[in-house]
Amino acid sequence: MSKYLDLTIPEIHELYVKKELTPSILLEEVFERIKARKSLNCLITCCQEEALERARELEKEEVGGLLWGIPILIKDNIVTKGIRTTCASKMLENFIPIYDAFVVEKIKKAGMILVGKTNMDEFAMGSTSETSYFGPPKNPWNEAYITGGSSGGNASAIAARIVPLSIGSDTGGSIRQPASYTGIVGMKPTYGRVSRYGLIAFASSLDQIGPMTRTVYENALLLNAIAGKDQNDLTSSSKEVEDYTALIGKDVRDLKIGIPSYLVSDVVSKEVSEVFNHVVNLLKKNGNTVELVDISYLKHAVSLYQIIAMGEASSNLARFDGVRYGYRTENPETIDALYEKTRSEGFGEEVKSRIMVGSSLLSGKNAKLYYDKALSIRDDMRESFLASFQKYDLLIAPTTTTPAYQLGEVMKDPLKTFMDDILVIPANMAGLPAMNLPAGFNQNHLPIGMQIIGAPFGEAKMYQLASFLEKELNLDLEGGRK
Amino acid sequence: MTKYEATIGIEVHVEVKTKSKIFSSSENGYGKDANSSCTVVDLGYPGTLPTLNEEVILQGIRAVHLTHCTLTRKMHFDRKNYFYPDNPKNYQITQNRTPIGQNGYLEIETSEGPKKIEILEMHLEEDTCKSSHKGRVSLLDFNRAGVPLIEIVSKPCMHTKEEAMLYLEKLKETFFYGNISDCKMEEGSMRCDVNVSIAPKESKTLGVKCEIKNIGSIRNVGIAIEKEIARQEEVLEQGQVLKEQTRRFDDQLNDTVLMRVKETGNDYRYFPEPDIPFVFLEEEQIQEALATLPMMPDERRILYQKKGMSKLHIEKILANRSLSDYLNTFLDTNINFVTAANLLLGDISSYLNKNFKKLEQTKLTREKFIDLLQKLEEGALSNKNVKEILEDVLEKEISIPEIMKEKKIQNITDVSFVEEIIQKVLDENTQSVLDYKEGKDRALKYLMGQVMKETKGAVNPKIANEKLVEYLQKR
Repeated sequence: MSKYLDLTIPEIHELYVKKELTPSILLEEVFERIKARKSLNCLITCCQEEALERARELEKEEVGGLLWGIPILIKDNIVTKGIRTTCASKMLENFIPIYDAFVVEKIKKAGMILVGKTNMDEFAMGSTSETSYFGPPKNPWNEAYITGGSSGGNASAIAARIVPLSIGSDTGGSIRQPASYTGIVGMKPTYGRVSRYGLIAFASSLDQIGPMTRTVYENALLLNAIAGKDQNDLTSSSKEVEDYTALIGKDVRDLKIGIPSYLVSDVVSKEVSEVFNHVVNLLKKNGNTVELVDISYLKHAVSLYQIIAMGEASSNLARFDGVRYGYRTENPETIDALYEKTRSEGFGEEVKSRIMVGSSLLSGKNAKLYYDKALSIRDDMRESFLASFQKYDLLIAPTTTTPAYQLGEVMKDPLKTFMDDILVIPANMAGLPAMNLPAGFNQNHLPIGMQIIGAPFGEAKMYQLASFLEKELNLDLEGGRK
Repeated sequence: MTKYEATIGIEVHVEVKTKSKIFSSSENGYGKDANSSCTVVDLGYPGTLPTLNEEVILQGIRAVHLTHCTLTRKMHFDRKNYFYPDNPKNYQITQNRTPIGQNGYLEIETSEGPKKIEILEMHLEEDTCKSSHKGRVSLLDFNRAGVPLIEIVSKPCMHTKEEAMLYLEKLKETFFYGNISDCKMEEGSMRCDVNVSIAPKESKTLGVKCEIKNIGSIRNVGIAIEKEIARQEEVLEQGQVLKEQTRRFDDQLNDTVLMRVKETGNDYRYFPEPDIPFVFLEEEQIQEALATLPMMPDERRILYQKKGMSKLHIEKILANRSLSDYLNTFLDTNINFVTAANLLLGDISSYLNKNFKKLEQTKLTREKFIDLLQKLEEGALSNKNVKEILEDVLEKEISIPEIMKEKKIQNITDVSFVEEIIQKVLDENTQSVLDYKEGKDRALKYLMGQVMKETKGAVNPKIANEKLVEYLQKR
């Protein structure tokens, strides 16, 4: 079997241009791999027929840009017209959207082929993807381990090299943390860089869509395709989209790099610290300055995050009531019973508990006491970050405190997952772009990642550093492929 | 009078006139087929986000200005969370913390003199969808979901139904003339909830309030307040305790009916809407909004008064905005506004009403109207003549002189012609002449009638009367 799927995107593109490969043939490989790796449970919906149909359509056209004919997966909390979108919940088990999200329109326009919707934590609530109504996806490096979450299905599929590209979402690390656990590249762009229109909201002021891919370059390519102002999303930025691949390959020297000191404190495990320190030394060796920097309130980021995210979630998820779409309980006697039963039966435990906590946090005087205060501290944290960018080009930190752990482990200790997100949450709180880059392995050959955090709209510079490290570290990241 | 004093506060919702809805691009229209004017945003579909219609902001600025409120230049929207089938997202996007306007008033003219009714705040929000219930089935029409609303909250500063009704009339007139809303209570584009409480007159604290919803006309607001005050008095007089309630007005019963007793304060879990960034109102935008405001009723009142119109006529003209707007197009001329108003409210209005026409659908040009008034003034046309020729004036594209020619209306202002007729009438009615000389007033009226008869009513009555008296005295 020819392995077109493992070629780089420019290589695939060249074969398309030379007419030595067609999208249909590439898709065959994709579906073979999906079948072979069924145990990964990385997809909730595979749209084989629609994909093949699309491939045939494309084959009637001229070959387009670099991303033309490239198969892509989309997280199942982003609506796709005519293709069911479940949010990994019983509530939306049979929900077929009647419109496309902004990013879906964008990928279609660029000629990419949607092959499936990826597994995730229910409504993106969780850090291991184990809250999925459809069961957890598995880590391709070792199927006894979690993929992380909430974009666990994306991480699993990309690490297993089922497709080159995928789109996830990140509210409190949901792109970066699973990317770190599975050895892939995941970018959470600046808040507002990618339209949220069509992303089923979890926490509106934190949610951001971003690419999860095999390599840094391919990640930047995909961001090029999905970034930009959208009239339908008032929080999307009208700042011009630049070419995010522009600085890739450029030499990295004389950079001033900061490390938020709390993010390398004793919350981080020894194995992660070792990998991270190796990167720091590499950077210094290449003539860059790397220093510790203090950012305010990082210690409280998780608590603040919980208040804001759960408060907003309790309101965002109120629309799932059985009246207009989605799951509806059978034979409710009253309207209140319709609400109560539909929501009790349709939502999983994690979602319900977050809705309850969130409702309580916004209730009566609590809104001012907690939500308002959290917003104001968040502003201060952002200011502190912005101040650090006066001095530093970029910030770096580990992505997770430990490598992936075993399935089932975390369900025993719910707080643990939240505390694990301590390193990724600050970027969401400050609305900053942040990405995960594979940085090494532990003794069990599980991937360990690192983060690059940029100034607002500093994605191009982040990709520059990431591609430099990618080349210098030269890790073998094919371990998820069997 | 009783020993109690009532306190009344009113919350009014008006539907704002705009092309599209407040947070989506679908059309803001009334009377369309159910669910024909809604998008995924109005349906509260997963993944959708609100946009913000700037037209609504401009209308809000106008409303703030017209009610003398203070404009909030930096504002945001909030979510009001509650579950109800007509609430598509189960939260309503409204303004809780930064209402677009605060601390304003409207001045009303009560029987005891002018009074300022204070407005606590006004805010922008979206309407819910419309539900109707048929047996065990409830139907939802999302055309109304997302229609822009302005909610105006008065302070509890009214004490009688008269004040409440006058306040609502004033608000309606203001928003209608400001082109902010149709303010049609029967179509639901203006809705009001009235809060009523009573307390002993010497009491320093307010009594327990009851809210009355769903009142379909200003007249019914008056009835509802009257009935509610009476009900509360009865409860207190019986030594019972009033409970906070929500009641509704029932048209059939012509009375208020209990909907629910309020258990605890509603917890709407308000928080700032994260999907809509802060709105900053720039001076330019404010000026743009106010530049298009038409002349408001109070200014028209003063002008009309200066033109000598009676209070009754002024109010009648203002009650019919198209007439007032028409009249205003003659402000730069020296026409007699009293005559003009007479004509517009009398013959012209009845012709229009009878024929289901609007003034702008007629052939009444500016020149024709001025000419018509002038001829009336001069006596070249009598009121009776006007009635005769009105249809032609309104329907034909020909001038007044041409119409008069066609209708063979002579210029009976010709005094010698009138004198001739008077002589003839006096000659034929010698007995009446004698009666007049003996001081019988009836005789003059009879003789005048004869003159009118002879001239088929085409004579200027003023001139005829003068001449008749003159000739009688000569005899």
